[in-house]
Amino acid sequence: MRFLLISICLLLVSCASYPKKQHFQLDNSVSKSIENPYFSDETKDYVYKASIDVYDKHFGGLLIIKKINEQEHRVVFTTEMGNKLFDFSFFEDDFKVNFILDELNKKILINILKKDFKVLITEKINVTNRFSEADNHIFEIIIYNKKHYYYFNENQLSHVIRTKNGKEKVQFLFSEINNHLADQIDIKHHNIKLDITLQSITQ
Amino acid sequence: MRNLVFLFLLLSVTMQAQTKMSATEAQSLKTLVKRQALTTKTIVSDFTQYKHLDFLSNDIITKGKLAFKTPDLVKWEYTEPYKYAVLFKNETLFINDEGKKNQVDMGSNKLFKELNHLIINSIKGDMFDEDAFVITYFKTGKNSEVHFVPKDKNSSKYIETFQITFNPSGDVTEVKMMEPSGDYTKIVFSNKELNKPLPDAIFTH
Repeated sequence: MRFLLISICLLLVSCASYPKKQHFQLDNSVSKSIENPYFSDETKDYVYKASIDVYDKHFGGLLIIKKINEQEHRVVFTTEMGNKLFDFSFFEDDFKVNFILDELNKKILINILKKDFKVLITEKINVTNRFSEADNHIFEIIIYNKKHYYYFNENQLSHVIRTKNGKEKVQFLFSEINNHLADQIDIKHHNIKLDITLQSITQ
Repeated sequence: MRNLVFLFLLLSVTMQAQTKMSATEAQSLKTLVKRQALTTKTIVSDFTQYKHLDFLSNDIITKGKLAFKTPDLVKWEYTEPYKYAVLFKNETLFINDEGKKNQVDMGSNKLFKELNHLIINSIKGDMFDEDAFVITYFKTGKNSEVHFVPKDKNSSKYIETFQITFNPSGDVTEVKMMEPSGDYTKIVFSNKELNKPLPDAIFTH
């Protein structure tokens, strides 16, 4: 019986929400909608040298992101030598594969990439909850049914955490930020061995 | 009416810019390029690569150096705006990505093998394989432009045409790879030197 109680307690603790575990304070004084500025300029061609480490394999290439209009972002990945590996279009509530190399045409892979890039390019976002912790303002946002926590430090988006069942699953780090351009972006997955590093070569 | 005049002007300009070669002209170009390829033992050249994607405001420009040594050593090295080198050697593709080294065994990978073959042949310009391509010859001013359309359906999914520009002496000055979508990669060679002795050290990983 005591065992059962302990397990129930443990279960309750491990199921606690992410904000609770992180000791966030609810804070309703801040804005209800936020903006991710890093891919929001239609006049810019965002080009990143990308390194992808997946299960001890290393791939490189160029990640090219362009805001086409208010409704659409294009995300294209090519090898260094210019061969296109995939070409996606993101719309507000829609997603389209314009091209993908046969070898990469796997549903699981496309889904992972779709979820990750959606976070990068989603600009105006409605907030479901607002918190604060130390110098950070933290905003809870739902993207593809998953809770994401957007950390702003001095009005600058520094990182995003995707959670599942209160646990941290993916981390998006934005650094070396100049004029709404993040020169370095790191995407780290905790549940699978996948790290994506992006270094801006935007001209 | 003004539009019509403009259209005619444009048409006559394009027609001047590119005319189809006669069979004899095509044959003599082929002979020239093949002879050139046979006598070419080494090549060093700078290159500028333009990646054109229709939706971008500007082409993505990267620059680097190329070294070739007969029969099949190729080093393709980007220096700007990042450092990345690929070395084709003994059925293996060696990659140096900003110091991170990697290799791919081409023997086990048909796609890489074909890619290697195409790169070597397009550098030398010798892609005149009627079994693999539908080939069309054009004159553009003093230069020649040859379009190679892959017959293999699998390749043509990725590359619709290779367009190679030759100068009057039969050297490759430009390679353009057109994708079915209309996007393309254009590589322009400059400071090309032929048959300069090259130390093997260039081709080490």
